[in-house]
Amino acid sequence: MTNPTVFVVDDDAAIRDALTLQITLKGLRVAVFSSADEFLAAYEPHMRGCLLTDLQMPGMDGLQLQETLRARGVILPVVVLTAHGDVATTKTAMRNGAVDFLEKPAEDDGLIDVLRNAIRIDAERFQAERQRLEALERLERLTPRERDVLELLAEGLQNREIAERLEISPRTVEVYKAKMMEKLRCRNLADVVRFGDIARVGANAQSAALPGSASI
Amino acid sequence: MTRGLRQAATSRNVGAAAVYLTSYLLLDWLSYVQPVLKLGITPWNPPAGLTLAYLLVFGPRWFGVTAVAALLSDVLVRGHSPISPTVLACSLWIGLGYGVLAAVLRRWKLAQPIRGAAHAAWFVGLAACTSAVVAAGYVAIVAAGGELPRADAMGSIARYWVGDLTAILTLTPLLMYLPAWREGLRLAAGRSWEVVAQLVAVAIALWIAFGTSATDELRIFYLLFVPVIWISLRWGLQGTMLAALCIQVALVILAQDEAHSPPLIDLQFLMLTMSATALLLGAVITERSDVLRRIARSEAQQRALLAMAPDAVLAIDRAGRIRSANPAAHKLFGEPDDPGAHVSAQSLLPALALHGEEGRAAIDGRRHDGTTFPSEVAWAKLDAPAGEGFLITVRDVSERRRAQEALRARETALARAMRFAVAGELASALAHELNQPMTAVVSYLRSLATLTEPYVAQDERIGSTLGKTTQEAIRAAKVLRRLRDFYRGGTSKRESVDVAELCGAIATAFEARARRASTELVVRVDPAVAPVQWDTTQLEIVLHNLVGNSLDAVMQREPPRRRIELCAESSEGSVLFHVSDSGPGLSADVLAHLFEPFTTTKSGGMGLGLAISRSLVRARGGDLLHELRGKLGGATFTARIPCKEQ
Repeated sequence: MTNPTVFVVDDDAAIRDALTLQITLKGLRVAVFSSADEFLAAYEPHMRGCLLTDLQMPGMDGLQLQETLRARGVILPVVVLTAHGDVATTKTAMRNGAVDFLEKPAEDDGLIDVLRNAIRIDAERFQAERQRLEALERLERLTPRERDVLELLAEGLQNREIAERLEISPRTVEVYKAKMMEKLRCRNLADVVRFGDIARVGANAQSAALPGSASI
Repeated sequence: MTRGLRQAATSRNVGAAAVYLTSYLLLDWLSYVQPVLKLGITPWNPPAGLTLAYLLVFGPRWFGVTAVAALLSDVLVRGHSPISPTVLACSLWIGLGYGVLAAVLRRWKLAQPIRGAAHAAWFVGLAACTSAVVAAGYVAIVAAGGELPRADAMGSIARYWVGDLTAILTLTPLLMYLPAWREGLRLAAGRSWEVVAQLVAVAIALWIAFGTSATDELRIFYLLFVPVIWISLRWGLQGTMLAALCIQVALVILAQDEAHSPPLIDLQFLMLTMSATALLLGAVITERSDVLRRIARSEAQQRALLAMAPDAVLAIDRAGRIRSANPAAHKLFGEPDDPGAHVSAQSLLPALALHGEEGRAAIDGRRHDGTTFPSEVAWAKLDAPAGEGFLITVRDVSERRRAQEALRARETALARAMRFAVAGELASALAHELNQPMTAVVSYLRSLATLTEPYVAQDERIGSTLGKTTQEAIRAAKVLRRLRDFYRGGTSKRESVDVAELCGAIATAFEARARRASTELVVRVDPAVAPVQWDTTQLEIVLHNLVGNSLDAVMQREPPRRRIELCAESSEGSVLFHVSDSGPGLSADVLAHLFEPFTTTKSGGMGLGLAISRSLVRARGGDLLHELRGKLGGATFTARIPCKEQ
């Protein structure tokens, strides 16, 4: 894991320079790019932090960059900067998953707070993602029967009902449940339910959104 | 083909010569009465009239045929020897004399059927001169041959001359009208009772003048002129000459009876006088009827012209009263309350001031019901023969005035909207360009605030100054933004725009420029295109810019290849306006900044047209696209306008 960095994309050199100074003075790392393409070429999945991008740029603009990143499964939080803050563009940017929206020039000195917030979101997302991966990894170790028991338990069924459903004895259910909870390191039923969710989502979403397997 | 025609002409001429020869011999035989010493000198010589008519119609080059006719006549009718030099010389002289007369008449364009008094007078004069020369020559030749006593020479010349001239004046004009004999017969059949009455009148006059012993020696010959004048008034030249011919035939027959006959030379002069009078009178009457017919035709044409004229035409007299008005005038001014009253031009055109020979004025017209309208008036003075006064035309120009005003209003609106759009685009461009450095400044100032934090404790003013500086920079940026927003929003209307009408208006606006630039401007609108909900003026600005750019682009081509096409079609809930041209297309360096403000390839351009157009279209959910090489070889720009605004 690398140190969180603010990736600034803006076609105006003075703005890049000024933002670099402003952000580094507040103790954050900054990397600047003069165009969306330049950023896309340099970005690697392990990089942490947030993206601060201008909307109006020659070539690929901010909204298109956002869309490209989303299509590639990059979960890096995006903060959008724009000089012409009209409603339609703002809506589109937010729908594309921008975490915040700043006007150029920003009226109050909220930029650093916004960036810190974005970095925190990134960290959370990353943390959540790592936990999900770990959970998936543990789920891999379950036998099919243990997995069945997990899913039925997560649905809220009692041991007896599970036994009936799977046509095995409640005793055997107890045994699978114990093994399953040990493998998943679950301490209580709440943990089991959480894993059940991850198993369901993981089965559907595969691991496309994982930073580790994202392709840039 | 030509040979066939020539053969036909030859056979026609030979046939005509044969008919002429036969007729000549027959006439000569019939009219060979009271000759002088068995010579060709008779009181009335119709063959001369036939000869002249023949030469006039077929040309003087046939004079040889007439000489042959004279010779044959001498041999067959008078029993002369054909080898006598006198007879040969006389025949040749007669042929030559009338050949010359025919040539002169043809040369002076008098060889047509006589229709006027001047023509008749010239004809009489020339015929008199020629026949006198022919008569003198003939008598001289005969006298030289010793066949005529010298003492009789003058009498013979007079007799010969009058005999020939009378026949020429009577028969030649009549024969010239021979091709129209059917028409004459039809006319006569239509008024047969009158013809009979006139014949009876002629017979009575002849009987009174010659038939009774009481009226001896031509004393009341003038009675003969009464029926002749009557006939000439009713029938013109043809009828008169026919009557004169009849009377002359009758006189010649009467002259056979030598016992009752008046002196021959008196009778001859009577016949000559009658011929000349009949010819001149008939010509005058014919001319008069021609003139009357021409006047009637031109009056009918004028009436039709006035009736058809789209402008009101008024004829007014010197007192300013309206004498006549055409249907357009009645339609324009309406009908007066009292149709019988005299209407003055002043009441219809209060500001009219007539002066000079002719003039024009743009004044208001007033209808009979009191309403007024703008009009263009032109007048011309009428001179005395046409009745003194003025002829006035009035044209209602209110329609044209309205159309001009509408066009001007539209142009003004477009120009104002265009200025507004230019200002908006300028403001927008300015806001963008200045906002960037302002953003950098604000950012730098915030860095400075961070950097000076340690010193703020020493001097509080550092912090407050920095804060105020930042606020001022932000305020400047806000002003720019407000300026841009002012032009961006709130100025556009939403109305139903008829696409075909819009394209037509654009084509009309560019018509003159395109014609000057020898450029073909084609508009094609898919009839299925639905109206769009949009601001007409803004759409007009967009299309105006695109077509204007195309017109500049095609100027780089030679005239026959200058073409621009404006198409409109429906496509997935939008209307696509394509503007294509045959210009050189877009170059790569222009392309990179095509829609950015201040990008231009024109020396006089600001480079805002495309930027404005795209801003206007995009502001309401449309788009402006381009192709490097469109259908006409140059660039194609496409404005996509959603039918319903997003």
